[in-house]
Amino acid sequence: MARRPDEEYDYLFKVVLIGDSGVGKSNLLSRFTRNEFCLESKSTIGVEFATRTLQVEGRTVKAQIWDTAGQERYRAITSAYYRGALGALLVYDVTKPTTFENVSRWLKELRDHADANIVIMLIGNKTDLKHLRAVATEDAQGFAEKEGLSFIETSALEAINVEKAFQTILSEIYRIISKKSLSSDEPAPASIKEGKTLVVGGSEVNAKKTCCATS
Amino acid sequence: MWRDPGTPTDSFYEVRPECTDVPKTKFKIKAGKTLSVRKWKAAFTPEGHLDIGRTLGRIHRGGIHPSIRGEVWEFLLGCYDPESTYEEREEIRKRRRAQYAVLKEECHQLFPIVGSGRFITAPVITEDGDPIQDPIVLLEANPDKGLATVSQENATPCSSTMVKEVDKKIIQWKLTLHQIGLDVVRTDRTLVFYEKQENLSKLWDILAVYAWFDIDVGYCQGMSDLCSPMIILLEDEADAFWCFEHLMRRIRGNFRCTESSVGVETQLNNLASVTQVIDPKLHQHLETLGGGDYLFAFRMLMVLFRREFSFGDSLYLWEMMWALEYDPDLFSEYEDPDSANEGSSKAKAKIRHCGKYERENMKAKDAEPPLPIAVFLVASVLKDRSSKLLTEARGLDDVVKILNDITGNLDARKACSGAMKLHRKYLKKAKKT
Repeated sequence: MARRPDEEYDYLFKVVLIGDSGVGKSNLLSRFTRNEFCLESKSTIGVEFATRTLQVEGRTVKAQIWDTAGQERYRAITSAYYRGALGALLVYDVTKPTTFENVSRWLKELRDHADANIVIMLIGNKTDLKHLRAVATEDAQGFAEKEGLSFIETSALEAINVEKAFQTILSEIYRIISKKSLSSDEPAPASIKEGKTLVVGGSEVNAKKTCCATS
Repeated sequence: MWRDPGTPTDSFYEVRPECTDVPKTKFKIKAGKTLSVRKWKAAFTPEGHLDIGRTLGRIHRGGIHPSIRGEVWEFLLGCYDPESTYEEREEIRKRRRAQYAVLKEECHQLFPIVGSGRFITAPVITEDGDPIQDPIVLLEANPDKGLATVSQENATPCSSTMVKEVDKKIIQWKLTLHQIGLDVVRTDRTLVFYEKQENLSKLWDILAVYAWFDIDVGYCQGMSDLCSPMIILLEDEADAFWCFEHLMRRIRGNFRCTESSVGVETQLNNLASVTQVIDPKLHQHLETLGGGDYLFAFRMLMVLFRREFSFGDSLYLWEMMWALEYDPDLFSEYEDPDSANEGSSKAKAKIRHCGKYERENMKAKDAEPPLPIAVFLVASVLKDRSSKLLTEARGLDDVVKILNDITGNLDARKACSGAMKLHRKYLKKAKKT
């Protein structure tokens, strides 16, 4: 079975979605990967994931987004999934102040378990619930600046800024990587190499398959 | 030969008309196969002793008619002894309903929203025991008033609870309440049943009371998926609670968490050992891909395939699993755990009353406690996709993707037969080594 053309890519970027339960992580993911929003969405048990291949800075990037359960006690297993992640989207709900207050805990979590160079973006989701907003944009903006994170507000329901959020973090990851591979002394981080190996490995498998088929 | 195509069961668990992409139930009521109301009634003596052996066979062949599911499940899960009389069971039921009322009242005293027909989705307490006054909670607690009035009045959602809590047990319990609420609003929402606010709050109440009753487990995401069918099948809230509680007795270990582990990892390790024995190549491949921990099977074990099957089919799968695993001593073991080891001699006479899976475990006479059939169900799902996994999975993401594709495509009966077959194979191979 040969890879379909849409499965060819220059880079594979793994990004994790984290944040408190019920902030809309799974719907951000489905909006980005399938342009869908599910009003009857279910809680995430453990880890789920989806991919989308898109153009970033003129390159074809396969974004592999890992969606994790929000409940604190699942942390024990979800942290295993930070391995190899180049980016993290840290989501809170603009109508629920506690989900914003918990952002610092999630940051600590990332610092403990993820790669030190991981690109982190703070996302305030559910801006469509205007009458219920309880976290001011400026507060989150200020916090993000202090912590050195990029920041954006989204509505997965109304499809506002979702594309932009993912585009931004993927571009940022791309810039860091291309910078790294330019400076010859420094080897590229393991996860990026993995991404490239995967592409090569893929074509190798294809080649073998073709052999088998023709012989 | 004319074959009964069966009656579809979707009408029993009605899906909201606007939800169009819900998988259809494959389970059909088949005359002569499915345990019918008539057959079920005929399985009792006039005093109420149940011929469980015959009943198990029928469930295994064709599942249970939806109209009697609740009462049959109570036996399958060990809420009642099949050898008891109607009278004895009525006595137990009464006692349990009273016990539930007491538990619920305790919870209501601690947090008045329990039992009020409403529920909350934002935290009400910090880990240090300080109360949180989230406007969302205020609104949820006083739905008749607008948000503006509520915050102006600074209405307290739960009167006496605005002081710092010091009792660790109570703090721990209150910390779970909003999580339960967040999950209740996301559980089986495609069903017409959950359009009613009272059914949502029933689900919330039962889970909140359970979290208080079983403080070690408390509430863990996934439990709402397991509890939801109970409420639909058993009308009385207390009966639904105890049926859920008996289900939890079988699987609560999966939900026990520590700082560094989730209980289900024990079963994932078992799954790894089973796969290693019955399909070493696949196990090797998964390990190479970094999936040796089998975390990709986490959800299947945690919510017993509820996400892989339609609502109706997962109920069918569950009752087949429980019928296969059935142990007639379940009730006495639950009621009187000390007497559990006394009955080894009478076990022989009862073998006819055991589920097929249980019988094979008894024959194997393993010193280790038997593995749950769910582990073999997952193993069989993996084995069925072994060649696909071996040739197409080049990363853990491919594994997850291939397994995601099974959603809505599994056949409950075939899955059970597959699990039974693997179990036999495993016992044989494990003996040799």
